[in-house]
Amino acid sequence: MDSIENITSSFEKHGYICSEKIATAIFLAAKLEKPLLVEGPPGVGKTELAKTAAYVVDKPLVRLQCYEGLDETKALYEWKYSKQLLYTQLLKEQLSDVLGGAIGFEDSMTRLHAFSDAFYSREFLEPRPLLRAMHEKNGSVLLIDEIDKADFEFESLLLEILSDYQVSIPEIGTIAATKIPFVVLTSNDTRDASDALKRRCIHLYIPFPDQALEERIVLEKVPQIDNNLRKKLVGFVQALRSLDLKKTPAISETIDWAKSLLLLNAESLESDLVVNTLNVLLKFEEDIENTKSNLVSILKQA
Amino acid sequence: MHKNLVNFISILRSHDIRVSPAETIDALNAMSVLNFEKRSQIRDGLAMTLAKTKLEEKIFLKCFDRFFKSELPNINPDSLSKDTISTQDLSNLIEKINSNEIGNETLMSQTFNDLAQTSLMKNLMRNNRTELALSLRRAAEEVSLSKIKLFTQKGLYTRKILDSMGEEHIRNAIEIMEKSNDQSLNGIKIYRDMLRKEVKDFVEREYMLQAEARNKQLSDNILVDVRLNNIEHYYLHRANDLITKMASKLSKRYGKQIKRSKKGRIHMPRTLREGVPHQGILFKTHWKKKIRKKPQIFVICDVSGSVAAYTKFFLIFLYTIQDVLPKVRSFAFSSHLGEVSSFFVENSVERAIELVNWQYGGATDYGGSFEDFKNLAIADIDRRSTVLILGDARNNQGDPKLEILRTIFERSKQVIWLNPEPRRAWGTGDSEMKRYQTACHISMECGNLRQLERVVDRLLKSTQ
Repeated sequence: MDSIENITSSFEKHGYICSEKIATAIFLAAKLEKPLLVEGPPGVGKTELAKTAAYVVDKPLVRLQCYEGLDETKALYEWKYSKQLLYTQLLKEQLSDVLGGAIGFEDSMTRLHAFSDAFYSREFLEPRPLLRAMHEKNGSVLLIDEIDKADFEFESLLLEILSDYQVSIPEIGTIAATKIPFVVLTSNDTRDASDALKRRCIHLYIPFPDQALEERIVLEKVPQIDNNLRKKLVGFVQALRSLDLKKTPAISETIDWAKSLLLLNAESLESDLVVNTLNVLLKFEEDIENTKSNLVSILKQA
Repeated sequence: MHKNLVNFISILRSHDIRVSPAETIDALNAMSVLNFEKRSQIRDGLAMTLAKTKLEEKIFLKCFDRFFKSELPNINPDSLSKDTISTQDLSNLIEKINSNEIGNETLMSQTFNDLAQTSLMKNLMRNNRTELALSLRRAAEEVSLSKIKLFTQKGLYTRKILDSMGEEHIRNAIEIMEKSNDQSLNGIKIYRDMLRKEVKDFVEREYMLQAEARNKQLSDNILVDVRLNNIEHYYLHRANDLITKMASKLSKRYGKQIKRSKKGRIHMPRTLREGVPHQGILFKTHWKKKIRKKPQIFVICDVSGSVAAYTKFFLIFLYTIQDVLPKVRSFAFSSHLGEVSSFFVENSVERAIELVNWQYGGATDYGGSFEDFKNLAIADIDRRSTVLILGDARNNQGDPKLEILRTIFERSKQVIWLNPEPRRAWGTGDSEMKRYQTACHISMECGNLRQLERVVDRLLKSTQ
């Protein structure tokens, strides 16, 4: 990841076609050691970006899927409460040995103090994705997926990790990352991330690709498909996106459609064929009906 | 580049993009690792560190194109000179310069010789764009062009910059040449005009960057204090933008607090019970979940002619902060009252307000409308409800039906009356405000955007 050209080519090798803007963003994030916040409509390859990055740098991918109610015990770390309890039960018998010969209350206390931190040591710490990513010896790619689904507090929790790459655990102290992970956050724009979070990130917005880029992506993913048909089908999807649809088809749907057309041995975009396979592209009955009525003009555009 | 970037960032700030010093440093770091040869790379890199939303990115790109127009190399280096200079003149001049350098003095006048020695003229003749742009920038800084505020200052600043760049040499030379009827006069004139055009364009651009945003801010500040029904039609969309901005500020502030109070405490009895099989050891913990019933807000709006403008802005505000506001039920009235909540579910806010005005507009009858409200919704009002009434309380001498408002007052958590009229007009003429006030927890003036924001802020605070 040492130059923008290298990033473009090595991502392409792993089947991810990135525009210059995306490559620039990855380059900056890697170079400045800042997290990359990727926004855009669903299905434009935000998550894929992080996965491919993990392949490219050959480091493990640690993924944290966000949802409402996600808190630090599930994202960061948790004390193994049951294990702690079990140990105290098992060690109950040892207590007399430890305290053996102690005279008076104060003496026993001082002796106990020597063991006090034993139950809050790393052995009882259950690392969750964020902490695991920090622990990774050779560094890692940390994917925090759909950050907009998480609560506001969780965002604040991330701030320390994202700016200093360290975690503060009150009982142990600060744990810093052994090697700074490459962090990718994705967001679907359902709500705005806080300014504090945005400030710490390189901000990348991935829109739907243009015709040329999408054709390249289809070529990469479905290489067997005929050139003319590819051009046509991508053009069709591009035209669809300009309609007022409930859910616009994403890249992944274009690829699925290309695959199904290939499977059906299609040679050109006939309107019958399109109508029959429209459900691959569109996920709402309303949208399908809407498209059917405009089919002729869309096919002409494509 | 440092200084340029800082200048650029201050312009971004004036265009409502918030850039913190930390981000400035990030941008500088990003610049240092990027390739300056590629304009698009620099642009994208800066956009990623400075702009934080899609909208901001759009504004950023616009500003970037304006600001760095002729600054970076490889962008239309000499298109301008080709437009203005006929090729023949150019070749003539080049010939002259060549002969001049050889030392043939018979062809050239002394004035032209001297002039050709000044760095400005040299740059102009050799079409040295980078040098010219640099000296232009330097001159602009000298006369502090960034302080330009009004369009009437454009001429002044253009002249100042020209002077600072040393245009007077050209001017003087032309004067002398005109007297001696010099043959290179036309060529020089073309260069002069070219330079003037360049500077003029530059000042124009700078004005657009600096003053436009500043003027907008100024007018926004004024707009906040203008009485809502005095806002000219032309400014309506501006007011809408302002409301959206205020609303997003408020929803950011209050959106967080709802979540915080949702967390529960440990459920001791249940935890103890679960521990019984393990000899009383509490292996499993259970948490009490606080169930918060959402408070309800009843909005009763007067949509008669005198208050319609206020109602409109108020409703826009309320429905823009839907996601942080508790459940809102809205009612509209003038001669009679009806529930209009469904209008807002089915239509966009603006459209819904139009529909409401169309359906319920007319002469005001507070008494009758309260009667309607009593039949419609008074049973739903409980101690968690907030009732907001927006109206001028001008009842056209009818029966005010104060007892109904009093019942609402007693049943609800709070009754807030928002009156668009200034406080001193309350109770004058046919206004029943003084009487209604006795059955309100809070009565507030709500005539402009600033007051409106305060009202909503207070409302959110009290319903959390």
